[in-house]
Amino acid sequence: MRSASTRTVRGIALLAGTAAAALVLAGCSGGGGSSTGSAITIGTTDKVTVLDPAGSYDNGSFAVMNQVFPFLMNTPYGSPDVEPDIAEKAEFTSPTEYTVTLKPGLKFANGHDLTSSDVKFSFDRQLAIADPNGPSSLLYNLDSVAAPDDTTVVFTLKTENDQVFPQILSSPAGPIVDEEVFAADKVTSDKEIVDGKAFAGQYEITSYDFNNLIAYKAYSGYKGVLGAAKTDVVNVKYYADASNLKLDIQEGNIDVAFRSLSATDISDLSTNDKVKVVNGPGGEIRYIVFNFDTQPYGAKTPEADAAKALAVRKAVADVVDRQEIATQVYKDTYTPLYSYVPQGLTGATESLKPLYGDGNGGADVEKAKADLTAAGVTVPVKLSLQYNTDHYGPGSSDEYALIKDQLDSSGLFTVDLQSTEYVQYAKDRVADAYPAYQLGWFPDYSDADNYLTPFFLNPTGKESFLQSHYQNPAVDSLVLEQGVTTDPAARTALIEKIQDTVAGDLPTIPLLQGAQVAVTGTTVTGTSDTLDASFKFRYAALAKG
Amino acid sequence: MTAELATPDPASAAPPVTARRSASSGGGLLRYLIVRFLLIIPTIFILVTLVFVLMRSTGDPITAAQGGKLTAAELAKRIHDAGYDRPILVQYFEYIGQVFTGNFGNTITDNRPVTEVLYTYGGATLELAFYALIVAFIVGIPLGMVAAYFRDNAPDAFLRIFAILCYATPVFFAGLLLKLIFAVWLHVLPVAGRASTGAELQMQVLPGKTGIYLIDAFQTGNPDVIGDVLSHAVLPGIALGLLTAGVFLRLVRTNLIGTLGTDYVDAARSRGVNEFRLVRKHAYRPALIPIITVIGLQIALLLGGAVLTETTFEWKGLGFQLAQYLASRDFVAVQGIVALLAVIVAVTNFIVDVIAALIDPRVRY
Amino acid sequence: MSRLSTPSRPRRSLASRIPLFDQVRSSIGLQRGMLVAGLVITLAFVLVAILAPVIAPFGFSQLRSDGVAFGAQQPPSSSHLLGTTVGGYDVFSRVLWGAQTALLTIIVSVLLSIFIGIALGLISGYLGGWLDRVLVVVCDAVYAFPSLLLAIVMSIVISGGRSDLTGGILAASISITVVFIPQYFRVIRAETVRIKNEAYVESAKVIGTRAPRIILRHVLRNATRSLPLLLTLNSSEALLTLAGLGFLGFGIEPSAAAEWGYDLNKALSDVTSGIWWTALFPGLAIVLAVLGITLVGESLNDLADPRLRGRRAAVDSGAPSADNGAVPHGAGASGAPLIDSNEEARS
Repeated sequence: MRSASTRTVRGIALLAGTAAAALVLAGCSGGGGSSTGSAITIGTTDKVTVLDPAGSYDNGSFAVMNQVFPFLMNTPYGSPDVEPDIAEKAEFTSPTEYTVTLKPGLKFANGHDLTSSDVKFSFDRQLAIADPNGPSSLLYNLDSVAAPDDTTVVFTLKTENDQVFPQILSSPAGPIVDEEVFAADKVTSDKEIVDGKAFAGQYEITSYDFNNLIAYKAYSGYKGVLGAAKTDVVNVKYYADASNLKLDIQEGNIDVAFRSLSATDISDLSTNDKVKVVNGPGGEIRYIVFNFDTQPYGAKTPEADAAKALAVRKAVADVVDRQEIATQVYKDTYTPLYSYVPQGLTGATESLKPLYGDGNGGADVEKAKADLTAAGVTVPVKLSLQYNTDHYGPGSSDEYALIKDQLDSSGLFTVDLQSTEYVQYAKDRVADAYPAYQLGWFPDYSDADNYLTPFFLNPTGKESFLQSHYQNPAVDSLVLEQGVTTDPAARTALIEKIQDTVAGDLPTIPLLQGAQVAVTGTTVTGTSDTLDASFKFRYAALAKG
Repeated sequence: MTAELATPDPASAAPPVTARRSASSGGGLLRYLIVRFLLIIPTIFILVTLVFVLMRSTGDPITAAQGGKLTAAELAKRIHDAGYDRPILVQYFEYIGQVFTGNFGNTITDNRPVTEVLYTYGGATLELAFYALIVAFIVGIPLGMVAAYFRDNAPDAFLRIFAILCYATPVFFAGLLLKLIFAVWLHVLPVAGRASTGAELQMQVLPGKTGIYLIDAFQTGNPDVIGDVLSHAVLPGIALGLLTAGVFLRLVRTNLIGTLGTDYVDAARSRGVNEFRLVRKHAYRPALIPIITVIGLQIALLLGGAVLTETTFEWKGLGFQLAQYLASRDFVAVQGIVALLAVIVAVTNFIVDVIAALIDPRVRY
Repeated sequence: MSRLSTPSRPRRSLASRIPLFDQVRSSIGLQRGMLVAGLVITLAFVLVAILAPVIAPFGFSQLRSDGVAFGAQQPPSSSHLLGTTVGGYDVFSRVLWGAQTALLTIIVSVLLSIFIGIALGLISGYLGGWLDRVLVVVCDAVYAFPSLLLAIVMSIVISGGRSDLTGGILAASISITVVFIPQYFRVIRAETVRIKNEAYVESAKVIGTRAPRIILRHVLRNATRSLPLLLTLNSSEALLTLAGLGFLGFGIEPSAAAEWGYDLNKALSDVTSGIWWTALFPGLAIVLAVLGITLVGESLNDLADPRLRGRRAAVDSGAPSADNGAVPHGAGASGAPLIDSNEEARS
């Protein structure tokens, strides 16, 4: 105690005495990074909340979990579909029983055995804790977990032949944790996890400075589908401001910048010889939602008319020029999206392309005018459009200003554009306050189902995430059917059919699909391997020199 | 409460800081100080209540974090489970009850004890404030003396414009220019952050880690690490320091000119003491109390965290973190940090008053 | 501790009742230069704000003219004097329109602060008692609250999170108001307390005039020394808070109004990519507007303070030495401590 305080006092004295002079001298010592050996430094503007998989359900935290926790099922490099990760095999042993066999002799980085008991523990605690910020709601179909022997886990499901469940095992609800370190009934603190070395993924964390710097070291005990890490030491720096991230990658202070540089930064860096810009398919989509009750001619408006309402939606779809938005606002870091399932995923179509606009993806004002006139809609249509400024990236305001401009200048619409801060926005939109509004989606797992069920499955009495009062029993039954169709080809056909059907109803208008963009130093390799449709950025794929 | 506060006094026509310290007819120093110290408690109480009410009317942390993922029904269920839909008074008394037992709770969004948050980010803010003050003192005070000495002449005009520009330029604009010049064009200083990766890793493993990088850097004993930490301090220190330096410059100038006109300085002048010595020796001391008063408040403000500077330079301190927690509606964290800020401001004011009383015996209490 | 009351002033001539006329006339040399420069800049700022609809070539949310889009990040040219932004707006037009938003914010915040601050100060000072003490403590507490953070909360509370013109202006103004009310309160309260016991107030009471009216008149007359400075500080801080909010992403959306801080925030990534025109001009606009207002405020403060009036003027007035003893508490600090609050929104 005494020595500590003496040291502090001496430290302060020393600090005060030298700082003034040192500040002046420091300019000369420069600020060059001091990465050792072939260690890779990655920069990101992601934010981590909680390392414990039961306590967080956000992209930033999940990105860390993907490096350090193993999964039963995971997506190998380059594929959107899941395979057994630390498991030998995984299959339905009865319609409601999904049995996973673990590889033998697995261990955590702290030496504890990784057995079926840890797996059972991981899922049981998700359901028991059900943290308000956790992903337990993803385990909606899980009834119970059993561990008959050390390597066998049996998941009992509520409905039969759930084709999505293997994907759920690779989702934020799926990381396997150490039952000797984690608590069964409450969220475990970051410090206990890091100190307890409760890791068994491709990496373990050696130093953890919350939302500032995480140091990773390859974990040799990982025996899963992804293979060993190519780089032994990876450091990840967390930035608050994307322009600082941009400057650091441009100046060579870091090796990789991933999520999220602005479109301007990316287009500027792509002309810079000292860095490479690597693109991959992205799972993020942007779309406009129509509230079927309150949109023009909606069910609860004075002039309710379903046909006219549909004509209005079709006219919007005819008039928006996705390419102009992608190019002007996003410098082509987003690409036009013509269906509900984004490109790159199994079953994706381009259902909207032939139906709306010029038939080739472009806008067609005349067609929109004809649609509206045919339905007897008087132009211009007053459309109130809402968007959010702080949740879907800084481009949102420019994106929606341009959409307003496109709709207004067609002469068919008078758009009243409004924006609202996110928390209020999330409340207002489900309270039917917005006739038409912006939303975006980032998937929990890379399966078409994650773009369909949350949106378009609206059985009576239980509305979907959208809560836009869209209902189509035919779509409902198709969505349910694809979830339990075991034959892959038949399931893909169903998914395509759903997209075609929904495209006719237009409950939402898909606009853009975000690409994953990483900027790396010229000597960094392997980036394109991990920028795949799994939408998981694995540090282990990267190598330098 | 206190008689001092209600006593009529022409001098308290001045704004808060000085008025608070207005002289009165009775009491005595000790009684005054005790009352001033006790006033810290209602101040904090008022602020925490204010923040509590404001925060609860802005929405809940669960919608902020999960509104883009979960259905309305699931959100409502989670909000209910967490108790955020209970009457606000019930929540308020629960919170106040906790605070009185010294439990500030865990942050909602990232599950960390509030005390740990305060300690971690407070260290960063303290360090930035320290650098900024060094710059402010080195630039502001001597230049203020120079301006007073040359008053109403060209150097004075130049310095006054400089001072005004210092606090008329938004710090994020100044920061951007500094970064462009020193980090991008000249390559002599780092862009942002408190240290480079290598240095941070070395400091992370220290057994007696304080979170104040300069102290930690000296603990490593590695000159490269010390240089690295200091080089990261230069730009944020200058950006924030110049802002404060502008205030100091003006303050020192004003008060020196005030005392340069006094009888006893005139007397010294007539004795043939030269003008520079007058500024340095005779005029400086009487001008000291208002200077200390304002400097005290500046320090309090700097310790409260400079949100814009911290954001511009990736300096993850209290102000930056508070803005983050505000955005995610983390009531617990915001309330904790604001309570700390209130303590800092109140205690600094208190210390300033004590020093002022010690320096100038003419101040009666 | 001197207890001299401010001598009551002789009646002024009609010309000198024009605001600032006296001050400009009585100033000399450098001080006159600063005051005039400040006035010119401030006047230009106000004129631009009022005339923006006339002089701006395009609307603040205009993206295309004659059906042709401006394009994003176009360099300055004859059709776009200062180029276009990342969103494809005309920079020159938005800089001009931005003055309007800034001026509105200043007016709203000054009006709110003055009325509430003066009302509270009068009530508190005149009535005294426990109400007075409570108000003093509350004002102290509120004064300690970081104004920019208050502004963030306010922007959410007031507008329900809608980033439109009214919401944005009210958020910035009200948060600044909250911080400045204690300052007006202080000035007015102290004057009220002093004047309440003056002989002429007592005599007015005796002949039946209502005391509050007399006090208000006398208080305002005597407080005119501090009020102009407070006003200019209030204005420049309102402007900087608006910009700070915009910079932190809580500002007014481009389709609702032009706002300098917002444009600067959007331009951050431009600057590092060599696109300088989108950040430079909104930034300079902020600096110039604040510079103008501050020059006026500081000059007025100097002119009101005999010791700072410049040597010749100071000697002429012959009064200063009387309140030397009060330097620590009174005049000496009157300008200075105000500046501190000025910084909160900026750091």
